[in-house]
Amino acid sequence: MKARWITRTLLLVAAFVTLFPLYWIVITSFKTQLDIGVTPTYLPWVDFMPTLDGWRWLLSEARSDVIRAIVNSLIVSGGSAVIATILGAGAGYGLTRFQYRWRFWRNDDIAFWFISQRMLPPVAIVLAFFLMFRYLSLLDTRLGLTIAYTGFAIPFTVWIMRDAFAQVPLELEESAGVDGASAANIFFRISLPIAVPGLVGSLLFAFVFAWNEYLFALMLTFQQATTVPLLLASRITSFGAQWDQLSALTLTNLIPAAVLGIMLERFLIRGRTEGSLK
Amino acid sequence: MLALSIFPLVFSLGLTFTNVNLFRRVPLQFIGLDNWARIFTDEALLETLINTIIFVGGGVAIQYVFGLALAVALNRGLREQRLMRILFLLPMMVSPIAVGFIIGRMVFSEGFGPINDLLEAVGLPAVAWVTSPGMAKVTIILVDTWQWTPLMMLLMLVGLQGIPGEPIQAARVDGASEWQIFRHIVFPLLLPVSITAILIRALEAFKIIDIIRVVTGGGPGRATESVTAYVYNVGAKQGDLAYAASAAYVLLFVVIGVSFLALYISRRVQERYA
Repeated sequence: MKARWITRTLLLVAAFVTLFPLYWIVITSFKTQLDIGVTPTYLPWVDFMPTLDGWRWLLSEARSDVIRAIVNSLIVSGGSAVIATILGAGAGYGLTRFQYRWRFWRNDDIAFWFISQRMLPPVAIVLAFFLMFRYLSLLDTRLGLTIAYTGFAIPFTVWIMRDAFAQVPLELEESAGVDGASAANIFFRISLPIAVPGLVGSLLFAFVFAWNEYLFALMLTFQQATTVPLLLASRITSFGAQWDQLSALTLTNLIPAAVLGIMLERFLIRGRTEGSLK
Repeated sequence: MLALSIFPLVFSLGLTFTNVNLFRRVPLQFIGLDNWARIFTDEALLETLINTIIFVGGGVAIQYVFGLALAVALNRGLREQRLMRILFLLPMMVSPIAVGFIIGRMVFSEGFGPINDLLEAVGLPAVAWVTSPGMAKVTIILVDTWQWTPLMMLLMLVGLQGIPGEPIQAARVDGASEWQIFRHIVFPLLLPVSITAILIRALEAFKIIDIIRVVTGGGPGRATESVTAYVYNVGAKQGDLAYAASAAYVLLFVVIGVSFLALYISRRVQERYA
């Protein structure tokens, strides 16, 4: 099997390219500042002595900051991802199943308007957000950050869900309609289950986006609602980076997102509905 | 939603006609089109615009090809694919700040980075990853690709789930090769999803700044500075918010133009396949 052989080689190379930088982050978290500046070292105990300094800092001195930042990040990212995916699913379904017209605007124009919201560089709009949030007393609140991230994610979730629903065969919905199912029933019982991979993709995307966003978190939060990226950035001082602390924090930050990925991965692949259309 | 989208847009547009400056205390004045006139003679803006287009064009194309290849490879029913899917998703979950510092700065470091060290160990010349203008662009694209290929893979994997199995099985029965099936059945059916994935990724890539600021700082010279980085420098460092907003609007126009063109071409391509 030539194709299978090519596939395996490709995957192996990709796995190495993916893993090597991650491995580098792991070993860096066990190095001292002195181990890093001279020549690269690869193997713990063989060419450098691992220390737990970075992790010790994380679990003692910085523990309360880290916990607060992770809780904030989880609430803000989880909240905005769920809201943006639900709204995106609704709008995406509407855009594929119904024809809208508002003056000269059609469905495609509405979809384009959604995505155009993401075209302006964030630096250009962050000041406007700051002023608006100060007026609404949303500065340094998790609610404010959640609202902002939901707004940023919606254009993408709408597009992802629009594609997902476009792939649901119309015949399926029509035959259910002939059998007397209501519109809501068709949506929840037939279209939505088939679009589950799209929902998962949209959820993961929106979550990761909010999880790692830096600029708006920096401008819109100061103390109470700060997220992990801000804590990460604080490990980089004018004297240079605290490499071990930065790496340990990076790995800690990776864990919740990775757990979410592991939990959702099984829903990315559709099995059951294969052959539901006969 | 309207407040979130319209207010910043109008606010920034208003700024472009003023002389607002963060550091210089000058009375607020409306100065008409002065900022817009300055745009047309700004060579730095033009250079950063070309850089940005190179990053977007090169980076997104590579990420799409790799992401699609990985998604197809991981949709074939190999035993280890569940583990692989999770593994390949990981890079996009790593904070861009950490990616910039630990991978961009350390791994690609010319002095103490492992890549040059390993290259020299097998007898190859070290590469000037960040000090040569050409290679610095490549480095930015490589780091960006490491981080964002997973997103392409995720979206293409989702797209592959929506493709009906019957035509593929029928073609296989008829003796079509795997490549023919991909080329004539899977790829055309994936086109709408591909367009969405490319558009989403390109829109984010147009705003590239984090990696650049950390890895090369825009240098050497201006070789890797993007428009967003330029806007940031003009606005936040020099304090000239009004001109920064104007430059941001230039990027907005370019992005809208490119998006329209891309959607137009994609519609034509889809019509050809349909």
